[in-house]
Amino acid sequence: MQSTRRSFLKGVGAGVLCLTLGQLGFDLTEAKAYAKELKIKGARAVTSVCPFCAVCCQIIAYERNGELISTEGDPDFPINEGSLCAKGASLWSMYTNKHRPTKPMYRAPYSDKWVEKDWDWTLDRIAHLVKEARDKDLILKNEKGQTVNRLETVFWMGTSHASNEECAAIHQSMKSLGIVSMDHQARV
Amino acid sequence: MPKAFLVDTTRCTACRGCQMACKDWHNLPAIETKQTGTHQNPPDLNPCNLKLVRFHEHKTKDNKVVWNFFPDQCRHCVNPICKDVADMAVPGAIIKDSQTGAVLCTEKCKELTADDVKAIITACPYNIPRYDEATKMLTKCDMCFDRVSNGLIPMCVKSCPTGTMVFGERAEILAEAKRRLEALKKTFPKAYLCDPKDVNVIFLLGEEKEHYYEYASFM
Repeated sequence: MQSTRRSFLKGVGAGVLCLTLGQLGFDLTEAKAYAKELKIKGARAVTSVCPFCAVCCQIIAYERNGELISTEGDPDFPINEGSLCAKGASLWSMYTNKHRPTKPMYRAPYSDKWVEKDWDWTLDRIAHLVKEARDKDLILKNEKGQTVNRLETVFWMGTSHASNEECAAIHQSMKSLGIVSMDHQARV
Repeated sequence: MPKAFLVDTTRCTACRGCQMACKDWHNLPAIETKQTGTHQNPPDLNPCNLKLVRFHEHKTKDNKVVWNFFPDQCRHCVNPICKDVADMAVPGAIIKDSQTGAVLCTEKCKELTADDVKAIITACPYNIPRYDEATKMLTKCDMCFDRVSNGLIPMCVKSCPTGTMVFGERAEILAEAKRRLEALKKTFPKAYLCDPKDVNVIFLLGEEKEHYYEYASFM
């Protein structure tokens, strides 16, 4: 393949040399016609944070009329200095993807269907399930009779984006329920 | 002043940030693809992937595996052969911008016949242009011409977290390429620059092109 390409090029290169020279000056106007306006021109720039890992790369989101136009790394942020990995670089596609759920999705026990629910219903349901589980499973004392107040059947999944203060608030509220298993989303 | 890229493949970790950043900036949709036994995905450049990180692995004599990454894209040749071939059929179908050195496919590509398109694709020494059946356009990297002509750097370079890709004035990039090559010679004795005199996207390879990609370099 390589050798045929090369021999083909030799022939073509010699043949078109005069043609190319004759068309000098043609380029500039064509390139101007090709030049389009920046798609982010006039759009509102909002800084945000990539939702994926604990590096928390900062991004600039460009918005116009309530629509997300583009996302790119924030060069002023000292952690990523404008760069992004494949996940961070694809935030616009992720946000505009038709497969992305934008409302809580609920699958009832033993059901094979997902149903859209609103946040009020979802949070109430979570609260009820946590209470049920706690009422049923809270371990007050261990085998030695020591008070432990431990809830082993509920797991807290937090976020690697939480600050120290947020982590402290989450930790204390979960501990007050007796929950001992906690982690954040970046490790799963 | 023409612009140029330096792509130091020895720094590439194949995170594919450039591949995704390119796709997002050009508003290109996801395509159906298949796992072909490599992380290289999609398997080849196509109208929806103008930039693609190619993966290649081989074993050395002492049985060590070397995994090389090659973020493939249009080289924006100093004398683009694709433009010469296209001009024979439809003048202005492919143009070269004198300000930036970008090689661009224009709307006039739609006037090219199937044979013209085949000739252009075969002529490219780097196996870059692809034909979009739906839009009847030739597709390839456009150096983010809209960004560059507005003073921004191409999206792939902007997203690169490892400093593999650098963009700037050709003269400066050439100097930087030589500087990096010299520094690399200590750890990669076979390192070399791919056709630096002929292209504006200069790849720096750690070893022979056979261990990267067949069309990595022409010479």
